[in-house]
Amino acid sequence: MREPNAIDFWRGVALVTIFVNHIPGNFFERYTFSQYGISDAAELFVFLAGWSIGLATRGRDGKPEPRLTTVLRLLSRTIEVYRAQIVIMSLALAMIAGCALYLDNPLILEWHNAGGFFGDPIQTMVGIVLLTHQLGFFNILPLYVVLIAIAPLVVLVGRLSRALLLALSLSLYGASLVFEWNFPSWPGEGDWFFNPLCWQLLLVLGFLANETSRESPRLRSLARRLTPLGIALVALGFVLAVLELRPDPMLVPEPRLVFTFDKTYLSPGRLIHFCGVVLAFQAVYGLIAPRVMPLARFLSGLGRNSLAVFSMGSLLSLAAQFVRFQTGGGIFVDISVVGSGLFALGFTAWFVEWRARKPRAPRTPPDGAAPRSASPPA
Amino acid sequence: MPARAETLPAAPAPTMSAPAQTAEALDQSLSPECRVPGSKLYTLAKLKAVKAALKEKRPVRVLSIGSSSAGLGAASSYPVKLENALESALPDVQIDVEARSLPGEVASGAGERLRTIVAEVEPDLVVWQVGTNDALARVDIDSFAEALDESVKWVMSHDIDIVLIDPVFTASLAEDDYYNRMVRTVQEVARREAVPLVHRYAAMRYLSTRSTDEAHMLGRRFRLNDLGLRCMAEHATRAITLSLLQSDPAKPEADPDRTGTATRPATGRESSDAVPRGN
Repeated sequence: MREPNAIDFWRGVALVTIFVNHIPGNFFERYTFSQYGISDAAELFVFLAGWSIGLATRGRDGKPEPRLTTVLRLLSRTIEVYRAQIVIMSLALAMIAGCALYLDNPLILEWHNAGGFFGDPIQTMVGIVLLTHQLGFFNILPLYVVLIAIAPLVVLVGRLSRALLLALSLSLYGASLVFEWNFPSWPGEGDWFFNPLCWQLLLVLGFLANETSRESPRLRSLARRLTPLGIALVALGFVLAVLELRPDPMLVPEPRLVFTFDKTYLSPGRLIHFCGVVLAFQAVYGLIAPRVMPLARFLSGLGRNSLAVFSMGSLLSLAAQFVRFQTGGGIFVDISVVGSGLFALGFTAWFVEWRARKPRAPRTPPDGAAPRSASPPA
Repeated sequence: MPARAETLPAAPAPTMSAPAQTAEALDQSLSPECRVPGSKLYTLAKLKAVKAALKEKRPVRVLSIGSSSAGLGAASSYPVKLENALESALPDVQIDVEARSLPGEVASGAGERLRTIVAEVEPDLVVWQVGTNDALARVDIDSFAEALDESVKWVMSHDIDIVLIDPVFTASLAEDDYYNRMVRTVQEVARREAVPLVHRYAAMRYLSTRSTDEAHMLGRRFRLNDLGLRCMAEHATRAITLSLLQSDPAKPEADPDRTGTATRPATGRESSDAVPRGN
């Protein structure tokens, strides 16, 4: 098991933030950092995923592992993430249906895009497996599946030339913004909530940030010196968010996605703000971790087991939504659901590591698919 | 739109067992299982952008937004039904319905997403089925009202028409004070901004009182939900076509039925003015 570290810690922060923000209307929602900036926890999550891919595809000595191993490792991770998405979608739909039946309340069937499944299960079932039908709040993992699936390409091109990787990634991002390219939804019209063609840039940036900071002390000290710029960007984002100032998508010039704060296309405004967040907070972990060790240990534990924690968090936040709906909400309910949810997330992380640790029965053949707690997550 | 099945007896609701003069007639232009008195169906207001499109004889672009608006690719889906119903109500007009789901709550940021979608589709008319997600999240009603009002104003400020559809009726929430306030809030915003409103809640509550042979394997409430979805497209179409008949100088709220009655059965006219709109 890895010691608590900055990457796992911030990943844990992103997971907790996503969990709280996925219980809309709850008391704690207004105290997450997402409310006080232009970018939010989703950016953090994807950036750190890119960073960890860099870690995971190198040996302990920092040497790049063989290419085939990288491809197979990331392929296996893609399957894991896809499997997680299919499982949580099935459970979520069953929870929605079960809740509607138990409460005798068909309104619940219209929950965030679930109506499509219950109205037209034949086509929608296909769409779920293809990841083209997504429920509200269950749209991050489809993005993640695509990103991890293309990650072997990112890593291999990155080993060839970092400049080439960045150029390719930026071109795809820019073209998608200008021509409004996105993955389609099906059945039903519209596009993916998280556009992989744009969000890949953040994965690549995370990967490149890790690669270059590992080797170039000059870049590391440059990043340090840019901390004030980061703080200025964060402050600007804070003011814009609090005053609810943002561009009107009908009034901005074409190509309008370049100028709006659009989440689907990761508009430049969000990206710049997020880069500011990274610069502003790059040294924070080192400063606070020794003072809040139990918290750092808890959040790092979540971050180490991000897929399991994210999956459980998605289901727990859905359950919390139903509890809030049926009880009418209120501060007491919010404290209970968020508190027990955080406890359950902590338990999930602990349980995953316990399962990986526990000695196997001697006759069982080694299970290659089981997650190894020693290997960093991709 | 020719009135179908004129001879079919308008089954009075148990709560409206008064003689025919006082009971409002059902809107005969709707299919039998969706028939509801006009006052339970809609509040009318002007639709300038759609009218302009009709005048210029160009296709009318409609953006349908809401929980039942996407994810349905089948021919029987609500957006397809809306398109068909609008095309048969407005012959010789080409109607293009684009449908999008709107994840998230109006009170916390879905309005932002709405703006992006509207900017992308650039419709003449937005038909917005609103309130379900917010009601499920039990958001603060005042912030919902404020955010909805702001979104409606924003759409109108770009010379795009908007029709609101209030949330679904479900018997399990009939006594739920919060939910009823939610429905009322949608109505208030529609009234304040003078936009047409489809009374989905009132229409379904009315339909729920009528006996029927139709069953649903999951029971009455689920049958009603199923029926409600089917009828919503017809009800929205009715509100839109009648709103189009609103004459320009008329103040929307002052005389909502002035020209609207032209296409409605004469019996509906007097009483519908007397029936209070909304709840």
